[in-house]
Amino acid sequence: MNAAELKGLLAAWAALMNEKKEWLIELDSVVGDSDLGLTMSDGFAAAAEAVSASDVTDVGKLAYQAGKAMATAVPSTMGTLMASGLMNAGKQLKGQEEAADADFFEAWYDGVQNRGKAQPGEKTFLDGMLPAVQALKAGKTPEETAEIAWSAFEGTKGMLAKHGRMAIRGEASRELLDPGAAVAALLMKGYAEYRGKQ
Amino acid sequence: MKKIINTPERFIPEMLEGIYAAHPDDLMCVNGDLHCLVTKHKQAGKVGIATGGGSGHLPLFLGYVGKGMLDGCSIGDVFQSPSAEQMLAVTKEIDQGAGVLYIYGNYNGDIFNFDMAAEMADMEEDIRVESVVAGEDVASAAPSAEGEPNKRRGVAGIFFVYKCAGAAAAEGRDLDQVKAAAEKACANVRTMGVALSSCTVPRVGHPSFEIGEDEMEIGMGIHGEPGIRRGKLKTADEMTDEMLEPILSDIPYKAGDEVAVLINGLGATPLEEQYVMFRRVKQILDGKGISIWHTYVGEFATSMEMAGASISLLRLDDELKGWLAAPVDTPFFKQFQL
Repeated sequence: MNAAELKGLLAAWAALMNEKKEWLIELDSVVGDSDLGLTMSDGFAAAAEAVSASDVTDVGKLAYQAGKAMATAVPSTMGTLMASGLMNAGKQLKGQEEAADADFFEAWYDGVQNRGKAQPGEKTFLDGMLPAVQALKAGKTPEETAEIAWSAFEGTKGMLAKHGRMAIRGEASRELLDPGAAVAALLMKGYAEYRGKQ
Repeated sequence: MKKIINTPERFIPEMLEGIYAAHPDDLMCVNGDLHCLVTKHKQAGKVGIATGGGSGHLPLFLGYVGKGMLDGCSIGDVFQSPSAEQMLAVTKEIDQGAGVLYIYGNYNGDIFNFDMAAEMADMEEDIRVESVVAGEDVASAAPSAEGEPNKRRGVAGIFFVYKCAGAAAAEGRDLDQVKAAAEKACANVRTMGVALSSCTVPRVGHPSFEIGEDEMEIGMGIHGEPGIRRGKLKTADEMTDEMLEPILSDIPYKAGDEVAVLINGLGATPLEEQYVMFRRVKQILDGKGISIWHTYVGEFATSMEMAGASISLLRLDDELKGWLAAPVDTPFFKQFQL
């Protein structure tokens, strides 16, 4: 992944989050304050916009700038978590003009995990993202990875929520799909579509 | 929705314009961003104290920026965290070389953003930042086990944390000592609330939750988070009994202890009712041999037009009494030396 590709990816995610806005609002409204769709579409739009005209070739610096723009645009819980992922990818990849996709997403995962302090299996974004990172590291294609992330999102039904408003539901939370994991599935879907078009 | 507003979208910027216009000698904003508020009364070399959080709780949070309390506050939209970038702007403005302490309530959005701001302050500005997260609502979670994160929400009791840390900083103590003062206040304060009616977030336009004319919810949070029990409205004395019991059993109290009491109106409950509540608090504490060293009654942390109140108790020792007694002068809260 180089700087031009990261810009292209961010634009693709912005378009996809905008397209899936109502679906995310719907998912989030079951327990949340239903602002997830707006947060993600506004956040990725701000991130893509912030770097679209940049001539920075350092993938890390570009990711950090995009993350900071997202953090400023959408300081909600999920907005800050996604921004933390991008900013950590920025820190880890700083100095590289060509980074491995798996390293980029692994750093994103680590950034979210460090900020949110959740563990895998607690029905969060991490449960959609971790299997995808593992798949990329094992050499799976973007398309296979996106399918794995989508199944992982569907697999959050049955998990017991430990964080956020959903955790207040206790055992009843098992019935629900996790909106954070849905964002992870969308990220990988957007990534696979972008790579597929190249 | 029945409110004195122009448009829901302009509610917070217009509120802030009003606050700066009313207190031009005391408050100013940073870099032209109304959401980054700092005091005009800098005390050279002092540890800076910053807070922040969503709007809708005045005088929390920005109301405690001034002499003897806080130096800066970042302000979010109604019930929404401000951004890390805004927190960083406040941090840079109030740092005087002695470092900055963040004190804020235990909510994920605020924690994530303040943590991010602290990292930016360290990485980008070389400013040392420490954080104390206030979470003293006994209704919101069980006490945390040793080594476990505190899951309780931060509510009106944060006033005492600001007060003690602010006094310690004004005395010229260093960052570690000011942080320790804040932590000591946190360790000794407990709060419990009751809600009688909902608030309405302007951009949402309808009440945040439904509650019957004849109902109350014990333990509800200041954003309408679920409490312990929803039930028929009781008398003031019965309500107060039910609220005070968990506070008194959460940390060990014994006869002869001294406390400060904070009765806090949530926005739509008149002072008259708050004093009826305080009357009962005094009776109960008298019965247990706990003496009240100082009492605050009024609006300290509201939830817009929510009806209801909270009770906070701060268990005191000589050090805490000294900090509580120190004078304060902010646009929203003033106190002579006690």
